[in-house]
Amino acid sequence: MAGPEATLAPQPVSDVDPKPLAELPLFTLHDLLWLFYLYPLRLLAAILPRWCLYAIGKLSDPIIQFQARHRKASAALWIARVCDTTPALAERIARRSLSNKAVRYLDQLVLLRPSAAKMLRCTSIDGIQHLESALALGRGVILLAGHFCANRVAVRYLASHGHPVLSVHNRRPSNKCEGRLGRQFLQPRSIRLQSLAFPDHVYIQDPNCSLSILQRLRAGGLAVIHADGRGRTKVVEHLFLGRPWPVPAGIFEIVRLSGCAVVPMLCLGRSDGFRIRFDPMLDLDRAPSRDAFLSANLPCFLSAVERQIIQNPEEWILWNHQF
Amino acid sequence: MEPSILSGAGSGSRETMHRIRRVFVESLHLNLPEENFSYEDQLDETVGLDSVAVIEFITALEQEFGMTFEPEMLTIELVRSIQDLAAYVDSRTVRASGLLNERRDF
Repeated sequence: MAGPEATLAPQPVSDVDPKPLAELPLFTLHDLLWLFYLYPLRLLAAILPRWCLYAIGKLSDPIIQFQARHRKASAALWIARVCDTTPALAERIARRSLSNKAVRYLDQLVLLRPSAAKMLRCTSIDGIQHLESALALGRGVILLAGHFCANRVAVRYLASHGHPVLSVHNRRPSNKCEGRLGRQFLQPRSIRLQSLAFPDHVYIQDPNCSLSILQRLRAGGLAVIHADGRGRTKVVEHLFLGRPWPVPAGIFEIVRLSGCAVVPMLCLGRSDGFRIRFDPMLDLDRAPSRDAFLSANLPCFLSAVERQIIQNPEEWILWNHQF
Repeated sequence: MEPSILSGAGSGSRETMHRIRRVFVESLHLNLPEENFSYEDQLDETVGLDSVAVIEFITALEQEFGMTFEPEMLTIELVRSIQDLAAYVDSRTVRASGLLNERRDF
């Protein structure tokens, strides 16, 4: 759980890629998996039924698990510590988390179909009254989420049911498993694909990012922000799931300056059966200054997401990420 | 109003521009002399590092001029040029004071 202390002065962190291109291998197994995803699988996904797509995902699972074997081993140690489970169960959670991450990418292909909205099957929405009462305040709502596998399908589902949600994405996600093929050729294509699947988005690297969020909030709308995203430019170091975590400080400034409500959202499952849960809106301390607001509300933001992760560890996709 | 209209909006008053520069320096805690720096260059540099800085600046401007920016105007284009920004602020404050006068007359 989050520790009590936070380094409150936002610390600039380098936004450059960790390794120069020349030091990367020409391609990696990860790159080959991405190549398969972005070309043959993407083309097949336009015509194959969804169950067939999931079956291909299942067949590829052993390769995905093998490719991430080292990361999975360290993830299991982390999971065992945070979730207080046996090593065997932690290992299973790490494996399932990885499979769920792959399902998330398969669902992205589903979202590219013209009939995507009809294909999304939401089994339940709990706590919609929390969202509605937050929206009724008229100052916009930030949906506070963790990196769960069903977030994207849920956001598209909400948009098709009268609640368009602005998503915030990273145009240069860090990836230590990629080679030159991945960084130079595949990553830009992957980002383009993501843009097609999620038309209502903004990149954190855009100068317009915060203004787009503010614009949406002032119009009384919704924006989803991942509290567990690792910030790059202005961060506040805080313990998250027992690790020092560079939390993006900008989220707190947007909430403070816009006066919006913050509602934790949890999305679980996959496109053929997912559920959404809205928790009661966070009781924020509306401290006037930036530092006071940050110190008063940071623990509450992070613990809301930590609780969701500990209750649903298999669905959180960052356990195996190599930071 | 579309942001592109701003480019033909003309310059705002000198006093408004001066106040905008002051708010810019103060709200972003920049260690700069108020008069002797390039607003546009400094804006690019600051926003390039942190896009949240723009909303700090915008909300500080709203407090300074007692107005609220229309949501559809909240783009980086709005603040890109100090002349356009001052013209927009002047148009909003004139409109607000006009409405106030109309109410008084009524």
